[in-house]
Amino acid sequence: MGRAKLPRKSTNIDMTAMCDVAFLLLSFFILATKTKPPEAVAVLPPSSVSTRVAKEEAIMVTLTKDGKVFLMLGDKAHKDAIIEDINSSRQLNLTPAEMAKLKKLDFIGVPLNMLKGSLDLSEPIKPENMPGIPCGDSTNNELVDWVRSVSNSYKGESLENLNLCVKGDNLAKYPAYKNIKSAFKKNDIFKFKVVTNPEGVPADSELARNPPAPAK
Amino acid sequence: MADIQSNSSATHGKSISRRSTRVDLTPMVDLGFLLITFFVFTSSMKQPTVMQVDMPYDKVIDPTPVCTSCVLTVMLDKDDRILYYEGALENHPVVKETGYSADGIRKVLIEKKHAVQLARGRADAFILIIKPSDESNFKNFVDMVDEVTINNIKRYYMDELSNADKQLLAAQKPVLQ
Repeated sequence: MGRAKLPRKSTNIDMTAMCDVAFLLLSFFILATKTKPPEAVAVLPPSSVSTRVAKEEAIMVTLTKDGKVFLMLGDKAHKDAIIEDINSSRQLNLTPAEMAKLKKLDFIGVPLNMLKGSLDLSEPIKPENMPGIPCGDSTNNELVDWVRSVSNSYKGESLENLNLCVKGDNLAKYPAYKNIKSAFKKNDIFKFKVVTNPEGVPADSELARNPPAPAK
Repeated sequence: MADIQSNSSATHGKSISRRSTRVDLTPMVDLGFLLITFFVFTSSMKQPTVMQVDMPYDKVIDPTPVCTSCVLTVMLDKDDRILYYEGALENHPVVKETGYSADGIRKVLIEKKHAVQLARGRADAFILIIKPSDESNFKNFVDMVDEVTINNIKRYYMDELSNADKQLLAAQKPVLQ
């Protein structure tokens, strides 16, 4: 009795379909990843168990580990309003060209008296060489003026829209943060957010047993 | 495949070598998946989160008295050290030192909360006062507020170090070093 003959199949597989899938996935991942928003300087924020996701285009106060303060002014409309406001309130006498240049900057990291000069430079100052916005004790706290302009630009809107964030470095000293806080307080802003990295909730803690309702 | 047939005699008839149009796609698939892996690993999926901070409107002082024994004061010192004492400083409480680990401040907070629960019948009578010193860093502050969230402490206050507290910190240092 003869054995049933097994058909010999070729071991070559058509790779076209697999290739299609690979490149489809590739293009999906490339298109789906968002590029990081520009950052003033590298800052390593502390981690927290908070699960609220940071909204985009926030008014971001960045505090570096050497205590320098940088400011990012959020979305275009408010940014323009804030810059107009600080120009008139602090009599910076910026020319329209300088104003346009300032509105294009991603962040502000120079004192007000240097602002005009720094805009006229042909080559912009490197972020790591910027002195930061003076935010010392009550005598020299220009952040108060900036935050005043920020709150003016949100006038007539609900304060819920004001997405004010502080992004501090792990190693920033506490007094520097305290000065930022007092600048907010002087402008009657009592609510703000601290940018953190997500971190797992420790098991067997009270928070793990009663997780909070997810924030909107 | 892109060979140019220079031999004119070959154009007539059968002698054209018919090559298969099939290309081996295996290396291309390899490349595709390699790139996918690269992009997946390099892109950071996590989005930064935010921690809500609400400062009290301290122009109006709430005159409600609090029970002294329900208060735990935590002072954030330099080098990730925490000094804490229970009750009011006038009563000369024992000042103890701890750290930010799970066995450190978290245990202290849980025990104190439990003690307040037993003494007062409700855990939200517990009041935590956080006093960061000038040498503490931003991470210490965030970690401490995080600890408040983790242990579900309803009432906590941020405060400045008083002169008495500063003396206490200065007095602790030589002993502990």
